[in-house]
Amino acid sequence: MAQGSLISVSGYLPLLRFDRKVARGELKWSGLGGSGRGRRAVAAWDEDALTMAVEAARSLGIDGAVDGVVFASTSSPFSDRSMAGLVSEALRLNHGASVLDVANTRRAAVTALLKALKADSAELIVAGEKRAASPGSGQHLNWGDGASAALVGPGDGIARLLGHATVNADLLDVFTEADHGVPYSAEDRFVRDETVQEIYIPAIKAALDNAGVAAIDVAIAAVPEPVDGIYKALAKPCGLKADNVCPDITAQAGDLGAAMPLFSLAMALEHAEPGQKILLAGFGNGADVLILEATGKAGSTARDALARGVPLASYSRFLNLTGGITLDWGPRSEVNQKVAASTLLRHGRDMHGFVGGRDARGNVQFPKTPIPVRPDAEGPETYEDVPLADVPAKVVSMTADRLNFTPDPPFYFGLVQFENGARVAMEHCDIEGRAPEVGDAVRMRFRIKAMDRQRHFRTYFWKAAPVERPQLPKEA
Amino acid sequence: MASGIKDKVVILGMGCSEFGERWDMSSDMLMVEAFTEALADAGIEKKQIEAAWLGSALDDFNVGNSALPLATALRLQNIPVTRVENMCATGTEALRGAVYAVASGAVDVAMALGVEKLKDTGFGGLPIRTKGSVNDLWMPYGSAPGTFAQLAGAYRAKHGISAEDLKRGMAHVSWKSHQNGADSPKAHLRKPVDMDTIINAPLIADPLGLFDCCGVSDGAACAIVTTPEMAMSLGKNAADLVAVKALQICASNGWESQYSEWDGASVRNTQVAAARAYREAGITDPKADISMAEVHDCFSITELVTMEDLGLSEEGRATFDFLDGRYDRDGALPAQVDGGLKCFGHPVGASGLRMAYEVHAQLLGRGGQRQLRKVDFGLTHNLGGQPSNSVSSVSIFGRL
Repeated sequence: MAQGSLISVSGYLPLLRFDRKVARGELKWSGLGGSGRGRRAVAAWDEDALTMAVEAARSLGIDGAVDGVVFASTSSPFSDRSMAGLVSEALRLNHGASVLDVANTRRAAVTALLKALKADSAELIVAGEKRAASPGSGQHLNWGDGASAALVGPGDGIARLLGHATVNADLLDVFTEADHGVPYSAEDRFVRDETVQEIYIPAIKAALDNAGVAAIDVAIAAVPEPVDGIYKALAKPCGLKADNVCPDITAQAGDLGAAMPLFSLAMALEHAEPGQKILLAGFGNGADVLILEATGKAGSTARDALARGVPLASYSRFLNLTGGITLDWGPRSEVNQKVAASTLLRHGRDMHGFVGGRDARGNVQFPKTPIPVRPDAEGPETYEDVPLADVPAKVVSMTADRLNFTPDPPFYFGLVQFENGARVAMEHCDIEGRAPEVGDAVRMRFRIKAMDRQRHFRTYFWKAAPVERPQLPKEA
Repeated sequence: MASGIKDKVVILGMGCSEFGERWDMSSDMLMVEAFTEALADAGIEKKQIEAAWLGSALDDFNVGNSALPLATALRLQNIPVTRVENMCATGTEALRGAVYAVASGAVDVAMALGVEKLKDTGFGGLPIRTKGSVNDLWMPYGSAPGTFAQLAGAYRAKHGISAEDLKRGMAHVSWKSHQNGADSPKAHLRKPVDMDTIINAPLIADPLGLFDCCGVSDGAACAIVTTPEMAMSLGKNAADLVAVKALQICASNGWESQYSEWDGASVRNTQVAAARAYREAGITDPKADISMAEVHDCFSITELVTMEDLGLSEEGRATFDFLDGRYDRDGALPAQVDGGLKCFGHPVGASGLRMAYEVHAQLLGRGGQRQLRKVDFGLTHNLGGQPSNSVSSVSIFGRL
């Protein structure tokens, strides 16, 4: 049977990292502040599982058509709207690709990866997570927001599948009921003991057997831990000597849920030498375990994502960004943002893909209009599609608007000039500290454009962001 | 060949309500207040008005759409009434309708009335409105100060002006208007404010602080216009008549915001409208010939840049012209003599007519404490929308 290779894999984290010691200090009176160690990645108000997954996928360097797109998440912003379809539009993939959303378990992306590796087709698998949790809960501080992506296809890549195994068990380390929306967790000691004994040890041993690989030959492990200490507890019984990359991710960014396995695989393949064996696990009501052999290296997306960002030291802002509090923003926030489905169908593809047009005389503009903006245009013209998301751009004008409502003030916006001639009025995002000034370069990010709070709908568009993210300072 | 509007139409009478937080007044009461004054000033009866234009920019807030709010408030007797909306140029757009109706010979007497009742929104500043179902998918929902603040950075970058100099120049713009507003009995804000207070005020949209921004107000203003011949047949003396010398409106076609030429440091619509207005009025040296200006000072940076766009300051020099007092009431070219949008107030649909009201008053020597020594030509200017996508109007008034 033909088998695909892992062509590339990547990780993405939002800009902000909440210092857990801030929560420990704020919640000291209650005893609910957790360990106070490390940081947690916090999505911006305009990021969700979809937008982050798109950002992760943009790093993969997809330069051709794919046969299928899989979106994996336990926190998809929609339960009846194809997120994989929107990923396909945002990345301007072929419209005929199959799209599939997988959900309800944190191991969904690994299951999808396994299926793709066993097939002979080009598959994009993306995973994003922005999970709600109640303030005071362990999950609120230990979980993190983030995304990951993998491209699988025929031919040589950076890793190949040697073997695998699956164990299913309805072990409820944590569950989230659809109508409730926030998790409920079991006792840590129970979770650790039973995950190790009933799920991970049998799954890992079976996968190693299936691959014909000795545990001692595994060079890097990427094993998500629903609670601390699991890998340590299973390594000896399994005969594993490899380090596990997941605890570092959890400490620096949080448990990324469905995005964790591919993020950790990206970390592993950034370090692995060709020929080294990697143990990848997806956990959630059981586990899928894959034994992979590195045949190349991944780009440094995951490592960079961990290293770059801005500390968030405000507990109230953290609560606001994670839905822990609902602030009353006053009447200026009462903006009707209803979107017509017919408008979205007509224009959504150009909006999601940020596709402008080149008119009959070569001028590029966004959006396309019946008569081009070019001053000598006399009548309607046809356009050639021109994607703008990866075109270098600079700030023409800019302000930090403190009057307009935004869930995380201030509201940055202005005119952006693209190198190919397009000029677009855009919102900006990911600005902490110094804002870009006139002439500064910016890059594009796929974000939530508007939230219709009356009808519970959101639209997506692109926003300008600083080109580089700062290096995170060491924790104090 | 078109000959323009110069001297074909005169103002028979004008009225203006008090602007401000008129908690006790609804829009129909504001309309009646302005109209009553205008009718008395014109010295005619209501039934002599043959056509009317209503200007109201934010119809979903209290005034309502169509001609009916005006026709009903004033109980007009089945005459043609047209509602117009052109953002902050709405008042001038209403005036244009009335002036053109008279100039065409279709009617002898026409009226323009602009009104807005913004303080019933329940919050400060203009409401955020849809930009259209397609544009809402991608355009930023910026506030008015946010959209105009964009001028500042681009202006500084183009002209190499320091942030500190521009901030002081903008502060002087507002300082001057507060000085003038204190002497305007109908103004919304009538309190002088010192430079330090202005400079150190909280930021609204970088670099605009609280005092760089005009508020929004309730108010109405009204003009009744006719031909010079009709005015004199009604008993007016030529010396008591203010003529429309020019009336130009110019709208963006997307060039600024979608094409890659605009530098973001000026407003082309104002430049174009001003050039046409000067040509229409026969003004060849606006710096010398314009005696006073009521420009769209929605934000201090707007007024500053507008003075260059109107050709009243050299490009890149407006900051220093303001700081040198050129546009103060005792300066070479007084601006915002009544306090402007900044202090007289900004009920959007009424503002263009309010500006005409002050120019009319100054030309007829009715300026009271604010009366300027010599006024030959007064200019009014509106800028609706935002610098990157705007409607601009430039009007010039003078004696017949």
